Amino acid sequence: MKKILNDPAAYVDEMLEGMIAAHPEIYRMAGQRVIARAGAATRGKVGIVSGGGSGHLPVFTGYVGKGLLDACAIGDVFASPSAEEMADSMRAANGGAGVLRLYGNYGGDVMNFDMAGETVAFENDIESTTVLLADDVASAGPEEAGKRRGTGGMIFAFKTAGASAERMDDLETVTRIAQRTADNCRSLGMALTPCTVPQAGTPTFQINENEMEMGMGIHGEPGIWRDQLRSADAITDEMMDRLFDDIKLADGDACSILVNSLGATPQEELYIIYRRAATRLQDAGARIVMPLVGRYATSMEMTGATITLCKLDEELETLLKEPCHCAFWTVM
Amino acid sequence: MSFRVDDLVAAAERIAKAAREAKDELNAQDGRLGDGDLGITLDKGWAEATALEVDDPDLGRYFLALSKAFQRVSSSSFGTLLATGLMAAAKGTKGRNAVEYHEVTDLIAAARDAMMARGKGELGQKSVLDILDALAIATRDLNDPGDIAEAARQAVEVSLETFRNQPAGLGRARMYGEASIGLDDPGMLATRHMVNGLISDNSAP
Repeated sequence: MKKILNDPAAYVDEMLEGMIAAHPEIYRMAGQRVIARAGAATRGKVGIVSGGGSGHLPVFTGYVGKGLLDACAIGDVFASPSAEEMADSMRAANGGAGVLRLYGNYGGDVMNFDMAGETVAFENDIESTTVLLADDVASAGPEEAGKRRGTGGMIFAFKTAGASAERMDDLETVTRIAQRTADNCRSLGMALTPCTVPQAGTPTFQINENEMEMGMGIHGEPGIWRDQLRSADAITDEMMDRLFDDIKLADGDACSILVNSLGATPQEELYIIYRRAATRLQDAGARIVMPLVGRYATSMEMTGATITLCKLDEELETLLKEPCHCAFWTVM
Repeated sequence: MSFRVDDLVAAAERIAKAAREAKDELNAQDGRLGDGDLGITLDKGWAEATALEVDDPDLGRYFLALSKAFQRVSSSSFGTLLATGLMAAAKGTKGRNAVEYHEVTDLIAAARDAMMARGKGELGQKSVLDILDALAIATRDLNDPGDIAEAARQAVEVSLETFRNQPAGLGRARMYGEASIGLDDPGMLATRHMVNGLISDNSAP
């Protein structure tokens, strides 16, 4: 293992300390492994929390900020936070108007967040709702869409739900916006090389020098096929074909797209992917809105990329374009 | 007859002792069908539970504190399931300083139902849910702590015996399929240790 660290066991805590030291105007610690927006929760505003394992920055903690998340619970690398940390994140986000739990569909996270919701309802009378991102089309077929894992789609859901909460919509509305965004997102990933979890010390999977894997999950979950590495256009075409199979775009439909690096893939290669993906979207008759190209949801130092499509109606498009600010993403 | 917070504190001490003694054995058993940390989860949770400062006679608040102890130290699914069961007991005893022994069956049933919902499990899948179901049935209409203890002890053994030769149908153990036949479910074994600890002075709780 070749990593810049002091102690694998201190990896997450030292990362959080650094993040808060660098951006004290945005983040504050609100408990053991709980990050909240600097300053107190806004009275009367719906709080939005997320959470999950470390190793995906800017997901999850990075997106705490104005117009996005209010608080976040973070676990060890690729491991669920405890239910108590999740409950603390909900207490930190609570402005008296209820809290939305908005996160990816992973078994451990779901069980712990549900437990946390029950605890704060019993102990603190905090009303809360859940919206799960299940946008990774490689993880289950359309007939079992509810079993899919959450990936890049959560960026769009954080943004639209965050903007909805910022304009002081009520919990039901913020939840509805988040759910509709989640329903309209489809993602697919591909990987070239694995990453290493600091406390494990060995790569999450093995792959030959000249191979790629289509459909791999953001923790190295097995994908659809593994074969010789193909050209950027061929890879992008297959990814777009698979996404179009799952979400129908009619002529003139507004659609945002995220071309995301899993960590080590450089911005240059993302633009090579985007070049082709944009052509495919335009050929399909879609109107591209606010494309995102960069590191938005990573898997440590994994090489590879994900593409997320988010189909937009008028309301979602308006919310996507509203201002937001965190250390990793600003919309003016 | 009824029990109070003091009785539960003493019971938690007995369970914690049993969990501590069973740690290595349970880790090894869990290693055959899971990730091998169930003994640690159980030991850490009950150690945390017995370190609580208790100065409130409200049984609901004590069960809540027990639930939160498990939420604090464990993010594993079994830890969260136990926290869920304890939370159900908290809701069933909120605002009360004493609970009759004949209500034990209802508390177990409430825990079983809440854990079933949280873990998205069903009865008959060879899990902790089956053993709780057997306990709820065995303790029905009993009001004497000695009788409850004996009924619980028997229910645990019968339940383990019944499911031993079935394949696991829930959680990580399910992935072992036919290979899980003949092996006891680790969660059921953990429950046996807790029940045996609880009744080790021949009374319940």
